[in-house]
Amino acid sequence: MRWAALLLALAAPAGAEVMPSVVAPPEPGSVSITDGLAAWARVYEVVSHPRCANCHTGSDHRPMWSGPEYDNAGPHGMNIIAGESRMGIETLPCATCHVTASTLDSAPHAAPNAMIDWRLAPVEMEWFGLTSAQVCAQMSDPERNGDRDWIELARHLQEDAAHGGFVAWGFQPGGDRQPAPHGLQSHIDDVLKWGAAGQPCPE
Amino acid sequence: MQVTVNGQTHDIDADPQMPLLWALREVLNLTGTKYGCGIAQCGACTVHVDGMAVRSCQLRLGDLNGEVTTIEGLGQPQALHAVQAAWIDHQVAQCGYCQSGQVMSAAALLMLNASPTDQDIDRAMSGNLCRCATYPRIRAAVHDAARRLAGS
Repeated sequence: MRWAALLLALAAPAGAEVMPSVVAPPEPGSVSITDGLAAWARVYEVVSHPRCANCHTGSDHRPMWSGPEYDNAGPHGMNIIAGESRMGIETLPCATCHVTASTLDSAPHAAPNAMIDWRLAPVEMEWFGLTSAQVCAQMSDPERNGDRDWIELARHLQEDAAHGGFVAWGFQPGGDRQPAPHGLQSHIDDVLKWGAAGQPCPE
Repeated sequence: MQVTVNGQTHDIDADPQMPLLWALREVLNLTGTKYGCGIAQCGACTVHVDGMAVRSCQLRLGDLNGEVTTIEGLGQPQALHAVQAAWIDHQVAQCGYCQSGQVMSAAALLMLNASPTDQDIDRAMSGNLCRCATYPRIRAAVHDAARRLAGS
């Protein structure tokens, strides 16, 4: 029994990061505008991917069902509206089906789960259906990005993924779902390159 | 592990990966909660965890963090919950298979929203499927239960 407990502790040490990453900011100005725009283009490929954008929706509070798993893009089935709470508290909590779990994994076609309470992103962080320029403007605006500079944006990604939040889920969604592209560390590195280049946005 | 269901604490020997629904039906023999789809698409397995509606087919035993209430614990034949009483008065059930999930979802809604509109009811209950299409009676019974709870 003691051996079993020890093995369990080795497999999942207390406080272990679910998806570890490193935030190593380059010197501001050390990345060219051209390279910064290229990094932003990859950032946009991540944030516009259905794993991320489906729950970054607007003031109608409707999550989306879109991506390679669906024949057609459309609003989440079952008449789901997350409400102003963005967590469904007004009628049906997101966590009724998307349970808060100790794993990112879930069965194919089941309601996916993360290790925090399921919810939509704040309405000012709407991404679904928006252009690269629009999302870049939002991500650069402290009024609409959670009052973060570019290093804090990267640290937000690191911290969320470390405890199994939606950033981790997007890159490791389980159940044969297609993950967001590039992986967490590349995404963090790209955010930092874009930031060090002065947060350039496409036209 | 210990689980508390309908006010009773049980020590059960089960895999932490076992869905709560399996534990309720196969270990504790509480068969009022139904298996429909196994992937949170139908709502038949709805129970409460600390008062919130949860699809018990999705919740692993090891992730359970709260007290469970099933249809057997919501009310008793001699002391029905307002939702159960309204369900009987409106003769909501047809085949009945989905109805314990419907009742549990309706009771959870009324804890969040004491006087739901038709739109609120539709939003809260659309994740509970009924092959007999008892939806109009469900909506009427939820309104009735809200009135009963307001008057009690």
